[in-house]
Amino acid sequence: MNDSDRWILSFYRHSEISGALFFGRLARSFRPGPIQRDMTHHFADESQHARYWTQALEDMGGKPERVRQAYQDQYLDACGLPTNVMEVLAITRVFEARVIGQYQMHSRVPDLHPVIKGTIDRIMEDEKWHIEWVGKALKDMEKDYGADVVQSTVQRYKEADEDVYQKTIQEHADRLRDILRSRDVMP
Amino acid sequence: MIEADKVRATLADLANRPLERVTDDLAMTDLVADSFALVEIVIELQEELGVRLLRDHLSGVKTVGQFIGVVQEQSRGG
Repeated sequence: MNDSDRWILSFYRHSEISGALFFGRLARSFRPGPIQRDMTHHFADESQHARYWTQALEDMGGKPERVRQAYQDQYLDACGLPTNVMEVLAITRVFEARVIGQYQMHSRVPDLHPVIKGTIDRIMEDEKWHIEWVGKALKDMEKDYGADVVQSTVQRYKEADEDVYQKTIQEHADRLRDILRSRDVMP
Repeated sequence: MIEADKVRATLADLANRPLERVTDDLAMTDLVADSFALVEIVIELQEELGVRLLRDHLSGVKTVGQFIGVVQEQSRGG
């Protein structure tokens, strides 16, 4: 496998681990109920995704490389750590949308290695449910927090995500061009 | 309104600290080892006491005493 593929798979792996740890810790804090149940399911999925990427790297003859900071950690740095359950779900909503977009884009690369394609396809099955349950839970929270507060919170995290995304593609433009086989790195 | 002692006892329990150490002047950041652990406690306390805290409520809160005050205020529906 080439260095760019090794880097992106390591990046995906690291982000899935970070997501699993984030949700796993928070799942301990929620009271019993649908959100605790679904957050527990969600972090279990994220840890499996990390396993899939680890296996993909091995199957392609590579090893994970060290990644300094997970993608989502950067917008926690920008927006601050969440203060309530609604903010946890807002971060999740934004991050999952980004993940889905990235995986969809990657899966469309011409002549994509079948191990990478197979791993993305497998993960995307779970991601559809992730977006669905979080979106529904956030909608339900509008009656408690107010629709304006929920929507402005999601917007705040979207803006942070866009900043982080732009910085990430600038920082890794060469690798991303190589991976996505395109002079236009990202849409 | 939730009693201050109840909030303090819940904090102490969640932070795994002796109650007598959770004083009003203790910095919230000194309750636990890292900032994410503090997030967990703040969220878990809301879940346990049925209080909703927004980011603005916690802006400027540094000490346990200030935090207890905010929780009491919000439990009153204010």
